[in-house]
Formats: sequence, structure tokens, C-alpha cells
Amino acid sequence: MSAVEARSLTLRRGGRMLVDSVTCACGAGRLTAIVGPNGAGKSTLLKLLAGELPPSSGEVLLHGRPLAAFPLWALAALRAVMPQSTSLAFPFTVSEVVGFGVDGIGRGLSRRDRARLVTHALEQADVAQLAGRPFQTLSGGEQQRVQFARVLAQLAAGRTIEERQILLLDEPIASLDLKHQLTVLERARQLAGEGLAVIAILHDLQFAASFADEVLVMNAGRLVAAGHPLQVLTSHLIHDVFRVRLASAALPAAPWVAAR
Amino acid sequence: MASLSVALDRSPLRMPSRTLLVIAILAVATGLVSLLALGFGAMVVPPGRVAALLVDAVMTGVDPMSTDALVILQIRLPRLLLGLLVGAALAVSGAIMQGLFRNPLADPGLVGVSSGAALAAAVTIVLGDTLLAPVFGKLPFAVLPVGAFGGGLVTTLALYLIATREGRTSIATMLLAGIALGALTGAFMGFLSFASDDRQLRDLTFWSLGSLGGATWTKVQAVAPLVLPVLLATPFLARGLNALTLGEAEAFHLGVPVQRVKAAAILLVAVAVGASVAAAGVIGFVGIVVPHVLRMAVGANHRLLLPASALLGAALLVAADIVARTVVAPAELPIGTLTAAIGAPFFLWLLLSRHRSAPA
Amino acid sequence: MPPACLSRRMLLCGTLALPFLPAASRAGGQRIVSVGGAVTEILYRLGREGDIVGVDSTSQYPGEALKTKPNVGYVRALGAEGILSLKPSLVIAVEGAGPPDVLRLVEGAGISVVKVPDEPSEEGVLRRIAIVSRAVGAEEVGARLVQEVRDGFATLAAARASITTPKRVLFILSLQNGRPLVGGRGTTADGILTLAGARNAGATLDGWKPLSEEGVIAARPDAVVMMSRHGGEAAPDPFALPAFSATPAARERALIVMDGLYLLGFGPRTPQAALDLLTALHPQALGKAAERG
Repeated sequence: MSAVEARSLTLRRGGRMLVDSVTCACGAGRLTAIVGPNGAGKSTLLKLLAGELPPSSGEVLLHGRPLAAFPLWALAALRAVMPQSTSLAFPFTVSEVVGFGVDGIGRGLSRRDRARLVTHALEQADVAQLAGRPFQTLSGGEQQRVQFARVLAQLAAGRTIEERQILLLDEPIASLDLKHQLTVLERARQLAGEGLAVIAILHDLQFAASFADEVLVMNAGRLVAAGHPLQVLTSHLIHDVFRVRLASAALPAAPWVAAR
Repeated sequence: MASLSVALDRSPLRMPSRTLLVIAILAVATGLVSLLALGFGAMVVPPGRVAALLVDAVMTGVDPMSTDALVILQIRLPRLLLGLLVGAALAVSGAIMQGLFRNPLADPGLVGVSSGAALAAAVTIVLGDTLLAPVFGKLPFAVLPVGAFGGGLVTTLALYLIATREGRTSIATMLLAGIALGALTGAFMGFLSFASDDRQLRDLTFWSLGSLGGATWTKVQAVAPLVLPVLLATPFLARGLNALTLGEAEAFHLGVPVQRVKAAAILLVAVAVGASVAAAGVIGFVGIVVPHVLRMAVGANHRLLLPASALLGAALLVAADIVARTVVAPAELPIGTLTAAIGAPFFLWLLLSRHRSAPA
Repeated sequence: MPPACLSRRMLLCGTLALPFLPAASRAGGQRIVSVGGAVTEILYRLGREGDIVGVDSTSQYPGEALKTKPNVGYVRALGAEGILSLKPSLVIAVEGAGPPDVLRLVEGAGISVVKVPDEPSEEGVLRRIAIVSRAVGAEEVGARLVQEVRDGFATLAAARASITTPKRVLFILSLQNGRPLVGGRGTTADGILTLAGARNAGATLDGWKPLSEEGVIAARPDAVVMMSRHGGEAAPDPFALPAFSATPAARERALIVMDGLYLLGFGPRTPQAALDLLTALHPQALGKAAERG
């Protein structure tokens, strides 16, 4: 049984098929990358998997149980979602924003426990030095790392209720510098190693190829290919879906690794 | 309500020490302002006499016989209590509205709640004086807050129906619809003042001026049962409003029942604004200034912001009322003009400083 | 409130404020708060200005009233404590003074509140004088004043009888953005126009209402009456507006500007005010120059 399973998932909006009968399964302990050109329906698919949008037809199962059957608090302990970008209207500090991730999530945590989870998450996302800064004054990349810390904190708090967790990431590295792209993806990889089901929308096919256990290729609302990255991301498919030609015979490995 | 509040927040009353400190400071300030309000007025009553009268009234509960006693127990005390209730209600509804709209410039006045409440109060007066008077006699005051609440609620529900698609509210549509509804209620108000006779018109103008003059125990008794439950319910909204700051989707991901939080927020605001408009007319800027000052001073966390807004709003309105009724004594200034005179320049300064600090 | 309670309270108040407050029944020596321009005028004419301890902001005549007496605020926005702080024994207020709750609180303090009815007519003025003089125990002086005012109305009636063709007059309270606020039926403006033997050209309206441009033309006023502004500032010229330029009043440039309280106060000066207005409307008919207006 897969951690996340989509069955003929469809979303229709004004006669357009944003997501068109997608059936897929993402396993626990694996990092699944969703790739595809702009407007392919990647973000919409992720919203359907998160339960944020109700599908027109089809259903989402989490650990074999329909998503709609989960109460909100259980869902919040089971899966965390990192958005593409967030704007904040009020002057919350970075540690307050990360604190939202542990507020009301999980069970049996003292205030000190929650504070510890926040501190740990801040360190994991490399934003501990920003803890006292107002979120609004950060750069786009820093804000994205703070959101990542918030998601990590939510998972840590939720673990007190649910161990088989799910992490959904919508372009988590879009505005990050190279070093932090690697930090975030490595941390995501590590979480998958710990048994989580991690699903991430990625634009960089090289990163997808080197970090993901499996890729889902979306085009025009449909799932056009799924499987091991090196088997799926062929020069033929890349040409058909992304309208670019691969310069070499096969996708090269990522040229960078994090400096220790 | 009980089950709803449990769903919204499971631990609203656990507060860290800094929160408790801020609340304690504000509570002491509110208490001091209240003592000043009881001690100062056009009439000179020595502080010792004020204290003795209050103690007497609490211990024996006798009807006041002297002018001193009457001024303290029938004029200053109900006026103080009404000021505290209305100030707290206005500031808290402002803070809730801003959290709901994720916009620090939002205000119940902005989305038509205040004007809807004022219109309903005006309709209640005109109808009560013409159609219903032969049957029921003079309208009891307690009908007005209910009417005003009804007006505020109808306006907000209309707004909600216009701005909500598939259970999700678009903030932009809601703000625009709020402006349109405000104009519509303004038009109805104009029509009403055209159709009503001079005596009714005088009552109608009260709603746009705003004053705590004529505060009576009857008004306190009608307003307190509406405002106090709202104040007690707000801590349960804190987590939801905090999470909503990130966005509706993000709040949902964090396990917040977004639609229920929004419905509860709208309901609480309608009750609080309806009650205060009925008792004191439209008093502007408290709802926008108080939460702003607090966000700058103690941060944006709604767990602290909501109770602190209630206290500071109460203290501020009572302080403004002390000025309103002493500075030109024995005459009085309308408190609405006073809050506008302080609030409007502050608001402009706020807009300018936001403009300057906004990233290019 | 039961009368027994009231009298006991009054007694107590009187005792407590003994140095300032002689018993209310004695003629003269009262402490009166006067609310409403007409009430203050009547009290001055009764020679009771010494008893007045506070006036409202509409008490503009005589001019010394607001200069020498504490101001308790606008007639409809009074404060209970402000009034009580003057330790009055009596509050005389025009109908419509308030807020009602404030006057109720004052009454609750054992202070008698006398309401003076609002009736813009000859009988209304006489009744006001009678009520005020009875309230302050000045029936004799009051009776003389009533007679004097009644004589004034008789002179006015004679002048009115000499009018052969009544004029249609539009009374404009204010002229904002070129929109006139006009006195319709039941207003004090309607009352003074009737007394001055004029026809109210705004009588199609009820109360004070804004009149449209076409409404102005349809009203066909022979003359326009406006109130002079405080501080001697000139009133805006209505005939500069297109709608007014098409009226008979514009051809004659028949614009009469008079003091608002004098015209609309409905106090002891009303017969003279109405006569002044009448004279201004019909300068030839009376063989007098209009210099009075």
C-alpha cells in the first residue's frame, strides 16, 4: 500500500481539464519528483494531493484511506505542505512563523518541547541566525528557507501522533542560491531515508534525476510518464514534453555537491 | 459555540510570561484610566467621597440620594462601563477584521459592517416610531443593539455570499464588495433621512456622530451581554488568525478549519460592532489605531494582540471620553470627532511610513 | 418617578446645596439652565437673567448671554454632568433638546425639567412665554410680556391685511454645492412666512428638504429669504445659480437676508421679525423704506 495514491484524479475548471484522470502512487521512504512544463498541472495536482482542492472526480488515498475521511488535526499531523511563496501581512518574527508549524499540532508536547522543535527546525533550514528578524524584511530565498523550517517543525510535532508522514513541496528551491538548493534537497532526501513519502515539484531536471527515486512527468494535465528518472527522462520524452533538445545522449549527473 | 471553539484552538489560555506581563501592564493602565474617569468631570467630587460612594453602593446597594452619588453612580459609572465595553469591542473587531482580511488597513467600517449596523439601527428607530409605536408603545433600548447586530450580520453575510465561491472567500472581492455595500447602505441612509420627520432625523444623526453621552445602566445592561461573550471567545480565534496570516491554504495545511474560523470571526465582529454602534453611534479609528500600535509595540501574535487590543481600546476610549467631557465643560465634545482628530493624522502617518519602508 | 420620591429628592438636594440653592418655591433667586435661544430670550425679557447659571450654544440673543454664562453645549448634545455641575434648580429646555437620556438623568437628580413646546405660530409664542414665566414664578411680568407680544401680533395682523397680492417666498436654510435646503410644511420657516403674509413656495415639501434645480424653477418664488452668517460673512448669491436665474425673484433681485435666530427663534421678537420680513417683501405697499431689513 502506497503512502499517497491518486485514482483517476480529475479537476475541471470552466470546461478546461487542469488535471486529467491522473493515477499514480508515491511510496513511503521515496522522494518523488513531479516535473513538467509551465501550466502542465503540477501545482494543481499537488493541491489535490494535499486536500486543498476537492477533485471533480477520482480520489486521493493516504495510506489506503480516503483523504476526505481524515479529520483536519490528523491530516495536519500526517502531512506538511510547503508553498511556492508566502507573503505575510503582519510583522511576525521568523521564530513566530516557524512556531505556527508546531502550534496546535501533535500531542503531549510541553511549551518547552515545542520551543525545542522550533529551534531545531531553524538550524536544519539554516535560518537560526534570522530567528529574531521580522519575516517581511527577509529576501525571497530567506523567506523560502523559513517556510521550509516551518514545514520541518510541523513534521516534528506531528510525529507525536503519526509516524508514517508525508511531505509535499511546491518548487522548494525556486528562489534559493545553489548552496541552499542543495541543503534543502539533501534534507528532503534524508527525510525520505527516514521513511517519509516526499513529493516535490522540481523544474531542474538534473536535480530531479540526481535526487529523486521516481519522477512523474506531467503535460497538459495528464501524467505522461512515471518511473525511475534515468529511464523516464529520455531525450525523446524531453523533446516531446519540454520542447528542448538534449545536448548530450543522456541526462548528465548534477555537477555540484554541497561543500562540507 | 463551545464545540466550535474547541475545534478552533485547544490551548488558548496557556500564555508565556511575556504575554502575561504585557496584559498585566495594560490591565493596570486600564484600571488607572477608569479611576481617573470616575474621579474627573464637570462636577467636582473629592476622591475620598467617590471611594466612599462606591463602597457604599457595593455594600448596601441603596439608591443614591445626593447629587454627588447620582453623578458618580448614575452618570460616571455607567458611562465608564459603556466606554470600556465599546472601546474593547471596537479595537477587538478591528484586530479580528485585519487578521481575517490579512490587511492591516481593514476595519469593520471598511467592509460595511458599521454602516450596515447604523442603517439597521436607524430603520429600527423610524419603524419603531411609525409602524410599531401604536402597537407596542415606546421602543425599549434593548431592541436597538439587536437591530444593529442584525444589520451588521446581514451586510457581512451578503458580502460573504458575493465574495465566496466553492467555500473559499476571495479577499479582494470581499473588500470591493464591502465598498459597494457601504455606498448602498449610505444611499439607504440618505433616503431614510429624507423620508423621516425632523424629530426622527435628530435621532438618526446620532449614529453618524458617535458619543458616550446619555450612557445609562439600561444601555450597559443591553450591551454587556453582547460584548463580553465576544471578548471571551476571541482567544479561541488566535491560532486560526495566526495561521491565516500565512494564507488560507497554508492555514488549512496546518489543520485550521478555515471556513469555520472565518464564519466565527465575521459573527463575532457583527455582534461587537452592532452592540457598540447601537450604544454609542459610529466611533471611528479605534479599530485601526489600537491594533496597529500594539503590533509595533508587542508584535503581531494574535494570542497577545487580541486581549491586548481589548484592554488598550477600552483604556483609549475612556481616556478620550474624559477629555471629551472635561475640556469644554460644562459642554461636551462628541467623542467621534475626538477619535477622528487623533486617529486620522495617525492613520495618514502610518500610510506614509508604510509607503517609505516598503521594499522597492 | 413617583411624586413622593421626587419631592424627597428635591428636599435633599436643596439641603445639601444650601449655600447656593435657596428653596425652589421662592420667587426669584433660582438657578436656571436655559436651553434654546427662545427660552433665553424670554428669561432676559422677564428680567431673570441674573438667575441663569448656564445657557446652550443656540442662545445667541442677547449677545451677552453666551459671553457671561457657562455654555452647556449644543441644544441636542447636552451632557448630564455638565448641567448638574452648575447646581441648577431648574432646567428650561425647548422641545427636542437632548439626548433624552441626559434630560432624564437630570430629572433623576431631583431637578425639575420644564419642556417648552415647539409650535411655530402666534399661539405657540404666547404659550412659550406663559410656560416659562410660570416655571420661574414670574406670572405678573409674564402677563405683561404676553400682552406686549400680543399687541405686536395685532400690529402685524393689520399690516398683513393690507397686502393685496401675497408673494411666493422660498426660505433657504443653506446653499451647499448649489443645492438649496428649503423649509417646507411644518417648519419654523413656514411659520414665519405665514405670519409675514407670504406664501411658502416650498410648501410642496415636508420639513427641511433639499430642493432640485427643476424644483426651484417650478416653485416660482417671487422672493428668496436666507439667513445671515455668523461673523458678518456674506451669504452666497443664489441668483448666480442657473435654476434661480429663471425665477421671478431673480428678475427683481428679491433676496432678503436676515438673522436666523431672529427669524426662526419664535420668541418675544417674533412679531417684529415677521413685520420686518413683511416690510422687506412689500416695501411700496406699506409706504415705508426697507431699511429695517
